[in-house]
Amino acid sequence: MEYLGNIFIMAISAILIQNFILARFLGLCPFLGVSTKMDSAFGMGMAVIFVMTLASSLTYLINVYLLIPNDIQYLSTIAFILAIAALVQFVEMVIKKNAPALYKSLGIYLPLITTNCAVLGVALLNFIDKWPNGKSYNFLDSTLNGFFSGIGFTFVLLLMAGIRERYEFIETPKSMRGFPIALVTAGCMALAFMGFAGLKL
Amino acid sequence: MNLLKEFTKGFVKENPTFVLVLGMCPTLATTTSLKNALGMGIAATFVLVCSNMIISLIKNVTPSNIRIPIYVVVIAAFVSIVDMAMAAYTPPLYKALGIFIPLIVVNCIILGRAEAFAGKYGFFPSAADGLGMGLGFTLALSVISTIRELLGTGQIYGMDVLPKSYIASPMLAAVLVPGAFFTLGFLMALVKILRKEV
Amino acid sequence: MKEILKLGIILFLFCAIGSGVLAFVNKMTKDKIAENKKKTEADARKEVLPNVTFDGPFTADAGKPDSLQYFIGKDQKGAIVGYTFIASGRGYSSTVRTMVAADQAFQILKIKVIDQNETPGLGANSSKDNFPPRFEKMGISDLVVDKDGGKIKSITGSTITTRAITKSIRNALTVLKGAVETTPKQVAPTEKLVASGGSL
Repeated sequence: MEYLGNIFIMAISAILIQNFILARFLGLCPFLGVSTKMDSAFGMGMAVIFVMTLASSLTYLINVYLLIPNDIQYLSTIAFILAIAALVQFVEMVIKKNAPALYKSLGIYLPLITTNCAVLGVALLNFIDKWPNGKSYNFLDSTLNGFFSGIGFTFVLLLMAGIRERYEFIETPKSMRGFPIALVTAGCMALAFMGFAGLKL
Repeated sequence: MNLLKEFTKGFVKENPTFVLVLGMCPTLATTTSLKNALGMGIAATFVLVCSNMIISLIKNVTPSNIRIPIYVVVIAAFVSIVDMAMAAYTPPLYKALGIFIPLIVVNCIILGRAEAFAGKYGFFPSAADGLGMGLGFTLALSVISTIRELLGTGQIYGMDVLPKSYIASPMLAAVLVPGAFFTLGFLMALVKILRKEV
Repeated sequence: MKEILKLGIILFLFCAIGSGVLAFVNKMTKDKIAENKKKTEADARKEVLPNVTFDGPFTADAGKPDSLQYFIGKDQKGAIVGYTFIASGRGYSSTVRTMVAADQAFQILKIKVIDQNETPGLGANSSKDNFPPRFEKMGISDLVVDKDGGKIKSITGSTITTRAITKSIRNALTVLKGAVETTPKQVAPTEKLVASGGSL
């Protein structure tokens, strides 16, 4: 029962308090690039959650059972990014075969998940973050952390898409159109999310 | 192939941050102070130049369908070298930049230039392109961090610049998360205006 | 099939070359990195408890792998001046590590935050000079943040970081007290000679 409570804390922390986009600055490229339409944002979000969860598991196993026992942790960057690239390639093949419409709408953004800082970021953070009592994350903790962080990413992505869709109907100053206004919007969202910092769990 | 042109295009005309909108994550995360920004800029430039050079040399032996993973391995190798070197010789900067040093490997600028330029052109143009883009990135980071550090702490590079009354209660938001977004957004708009007139 | 094998081998070759280069760089930098870490801790230890020689490290609970490690600081005569240890706790956005010196009554002599990546301008102010003094002379029961009814004044706008640091120090100090009070007294060599009745 206590573990469930801890999972809840982890979820709230990953989604609201230490949101990947609005607090950790991870996953910004797709955040700015894919958040113009709700449909593509949703598809991208789902793909990212899937990849982040699997990547967390895979990189945990690689680090704990291959790199640490052989004292070759300096190879972690290469090992992790190759694992993620392979994973994304695999996901791409699966989506192409089973959901060709989604594959078409995601276009180039699907292979770009490999360079999404959020994916490599969560893989690295699983070994840096700790529970409040000082314990490190085990396999299940890491996988769940990847999952919830992906949800946090998707949550903010959808919020942003919802807002940006409406920008088509307003007269933004010419110089602010596109990325500048998106960034200012993100800033306002970040300001709002800072309110969660005081959540006493 | 005009080497000078390849080198200078990264400064303004094709500035990776303000024009190409690449490498956003480190841009916002490491610009809390000029010191961190310069550290990140130089580290990323080093990786960019080295990887561009190597990739331009090996492009003839890399089969097209696995070129991206191979580029990634090359970039990751240089990032790991920078990571270990900084941990050994610049520990405070290493701690300050934290997770964003290994994240250089997914900095879209580096893979982007490898794919768009180094994979197609020769050694010296690729090196020039890498150096120019890297310095343009560092320039952008410096501008952003100077503004954020000045407004957010009243200092530049850790040295007091604004009067003591400001330092006692500065515009803290500038150096926190929202300030990063606002600063970059307005600077991008500014660059857009400047380029239209230029 | 043969094509995939060929691609696989080429990729593997690149990985092998890359790994080789990295193994070389790792060998060159490994010692310096470990040395840096030791040096920061050694310097911090000397700063919180100056003019002593350090015995240690001792482990508070030999059974547990992550157990608290502490040093005993002794003066020139061999008398115990105090203990030093590192208190570690999760702050707002990072793990904060603090070097703490406590006297024999388990009251804090001095602290120094040696590792943190908290919010600049807020939690990061724990590294500033005006933070450590508020912990001096505090005992285990005093180590609670003022907002929670204790004596430690929190950093403006950064109760979370202050609370985390305070809690980590309180926990570590409690563990230290338990370990020291249950360990047989460490006697200085001169005392041992006298106690055994004269010549050796």
